[in-house]
Amino acid sequence: MNGMDILMAVIGSVLVMLFGIFFGLVFKGIDRVLSARMQARIGPRVRQPFWDVGKLFSKENIIPENAVKWMFSSAPVLGLASSAVMLLYLPLGPLAPVLQGHGDIILMLYLLVIPSLAMVTGGFASGSPYAAVGAQREMVMMMSYEFPLAAVVVSIAWKLNVFGIANPFSITSIASNPIWMNSGILGIIGSAILLVVLIIVTPAELSKIPFDAPEAETEIVGGLLAEYSGRNLGIFYLADAVKTIVMGALLVAIFFPWGIAGIVGLAAGSVGAIAADIAFFLLKLFLVLFVSVTVIRTSFARLKIDQIVYTYWAPLTIAALFGLVLIIWDLNLLGIEWYPQVLGGW
Amino acid sequence: MSGGAEYSVPVGPIHAALEEPVLFNFKVDGERVVDVEVVPGQNHRGVEWMGMQRNPVQVIYLAEKICGICTVCHAYSFVRAVEHISGIESTPRADYIRAILAELERMHSHLLWAGIAAHEIGFDSLLHYTWKVRENEMDLREMITGNRVHYDMFMIGGVRRDIKQDQIPKILETLKYYKDNFEKLGKLFLQDKVIKMRTQGVGVLTKEDALKLCAVGPTARASGVPKDVRQDQPFGAYLDIPVKAITPDALTGEVHGDVYDRIIVRLLEVKQSIEIIEECLKRMPEGPILAEPNITRLLIQLKKAHGEGIGRHEAPRGEVYHYVRMDASDKVTAWKVRAPTYANVMPWVPMLKGQQIADIPIVAASTDPCMSCTDRAVVVKEGQKPYMISGEELHKMSVEKTRRMMA
Amino acid sequence: MTMIFELLTQMFKRPATNQFPARHAPKSVHGLVATVQAGKAKLNPPVPVPEDFRGKIFYNRETCIGCKLCINVCPAHAIEFLPENKKVRIFAAQCIQCGQCNDVCPKNCLSMSKEFAMADTNKMSANLIVEK
Repeated sequence: MNGMDILMAVIGSVLVMLFGIFFGLVFKGIDRVLSARMQARIGPRVRQPFWDVGKLFSKENIIPENAVKWMFSSAPVLGLASSAVMLLYLPLGPLAPVLQGHGDIILMLYLLVIPSLAMVTGGFASGSPYAAVGAQREMVMMMSYEFPLAAVVVSIAWKLNVFGIANPFSITSIASNPIWMNSGILGIIGSAILLVVLIIVTPAELSKIPFDAPEAETEIVGGLLAEYSGRNLGIFYLADAVKTIVMGALLVAIFFPWGIAGIVGLAAGSVGAIAADIAFFLLKLFLVLFVSVTVIRTSFARLKIDQIVYTYWAPLTIAALFGLVLIIWDLNLLGIEWYPQVLGGW
Repeated sequence: MSGGAEYSVPVGPIHAALEEPVLFNFKVDGERVVDVEVVPGQNHRGVEWMGMQRNPVQVIYLAEKICGICTVCHAYSFVRAVEHISGIESTPRADYIRAILAELERMHSHLLWAGIAAHEIGFDSLLHYTWKVRENEMDLREMITGNRVHYDMFMIGGVRRDIKQDQIPKILETLKYYKDNFEKLGKLFLQDKVIKMRTQGVGVLTKEDALKLCAVGPTARASGVPKDVRQDQPFGAYLDIPVKAITPDALTGEVHGDVYDRIIVRLLEVKQSIEIIEECLKRMPEGPILAEPNITRLLIQLKKAHGEGIGRHEAPRGEVYHYVRMDASDKVTAWKVRAPTYANVMPWVPMLKGQQIADIPIVAASTDPCMSCTDRAVVVKEGQKPYMISGEELHKMSVEKTRRMMA
Repeated sequence: MTMIFELLTQMFKRPATNQFPARHAPKSVHGLVATVQAGKAKLNPPVPVPEDFRGKIFYNRETCIGCKLCINVCPAHAIEFLPENKKVRIFAAQCIQCGQCNDVCPKNCLSMSKEFAMADTNKMSANLIVEK
């Protein structure tokens, strides 16, 4: 990298981070309104999360007496920073990732753990039994949802590898070669199963009901966040908003990477095309998040931690492996004449 | 998730899982509860003492204010206790109106509980849904009594307001709404996979424990103890309309004594209440609603009353018991309230032992605790040392007080 | 699964919430009141109350004979006797709206109105002391 590239990367990073925070908060607002409507309530305004953040930042930042102070205060920053870094590796609609070519989806899997780890550190550092219980639960949960998530990623990369695509783990290759393509009916079913698995992993990544045992407010009064207040809590809130966008963008990049500009007939590369694609990307993002966050969190009760572990290790892991098997069969069957290819492409 | 050192987690006096102040001290190993100590007495308000400064008519309203949800049952029990002493009998029509009010209250209390239970397991949508359904019934009671929460309907020797003929269609319409929605509510609560996962086999209270610890109300009934004041010692309109205590085997054929069974019992009781109200409306006799419509004359009559009386009623949470003593003065001499939660505190211990931390809120809530009704004693601090009154001391003090009162 | 369908249908129905006078908290309450008085904004009407609703107490001073029966039955000690002119004064902030005094009054000079919005920052404000 030369100096210019680094400068562009820095500017890009700042812009992407602002993008993540802004649309993360917008989504939180939409989520709250829609969830309220689903519960026959009126709900707040869409801009309420912005007010909440403003209010949190203006409040006193209390650090408990028996907390490990530096850890307690650095955990939120680490959480926000790692969430924002993930966005740099993800394509945001028509915009290529800022750090294109520097990391792949395996790195993503590792980075996804860091915000949760930051919360665990913060929880253990806050010296409250509630936060300690929450931190334990968060660690157990992290271990449980990693496997189905990895199974999804491996299935996709494997398929890309079979078709001889260079860098099968790179997010850009995954996004430019959607998993649905070049497959028969079994492959589409397999991909759909993987999509469902990833949709169910999303609420756990974001600690949302039914997988919000680490923060369960009726059980352990906010768990990990029990002792956080003021600016620190505000930063965690922002980190959560950004991570929501990350999970949505990941889902979109893997399963719904298409743009709209070509379909409506805008010249590729023109300003109109980019604007249309960004708008379409946001629409896809919010739709995916509406299903995986709002609908799921509104229509289920909270699971206990052992039930969460069971859910991810048994049914979801089996489902993810089954999806993988279907895709493998599909590719093996594709050459045979009675098994037609439903979707071509690439 | 065990094997670590034991540590203690306090839940309460103020905690998100609790609607009212009570303290649990949990010994926890990982996620599992090893031991639990219940420390009530965080919410003592001295209501009974306040009652002893007032005449019986004033105390009715004070009794209603013991609890916002069991307004009717406290007023009903107190009024029955005073009627017991003074020999005033409530009129037949008033008996039916009282029963209608009591059953309306049971419906609302059970629906309110169901919503709270859903909230405890993180199911806020179901909370909002149940409370939305409950709202119709609140409006109905507002129409009959003039207020949504504190009805102020009870009077010694009857009730203060009649159910007018033109109100009956509205009542039947609301009951029909509940009958139509009952299936759906049952489906939402009893067939939901996650609710089943969270409630089946959780917070089990065996029949033996329920009997040994004197659990009352739906808590006892869910453990297979068919105990109901309306069934065992019927009074008022329940003499004409027999009530059968509902146990969960009515629906499932089995009794587990877990939280799920408590949901079943309460939902079935909502249905039972609807039937009782319909029956009451059908059989309600004409006639006066007050034995003594003139309050001044009633007060003079009560001033002559002498003796002690008890009033019992099956509240939504179990048996309410009021003891009243009057000594031919214009004030109530002694008044003692035993609310159902008082009997349901001890069953918490066997229910909670061996459960996970995550089960604490739903198990604690499953007895539908009402601390404002319950707290009747305070933990006294003498100097710096916390000091708790033991059973023997309490007995000694009671004997002393009785002697003082007799003297 | 029933729940998901139920919730998704609720999403397209009118919310069940009883609305506040203004839909969202205004920047300034006084500003809102001023715009409403100027006719520029409309407030959501309060929820209708049934017949025989027990709201703020209403006192007819003219017919009162000062018999003190209401004071004797008031469970909240909300009624004060004014010996100089043999009338009473009712503290609405303390009143629990049971209506027992209405029943006992021999001259029917007490009644319950339908007014229920009585919130005030001062429990001794003129609005909360019923004298006439």
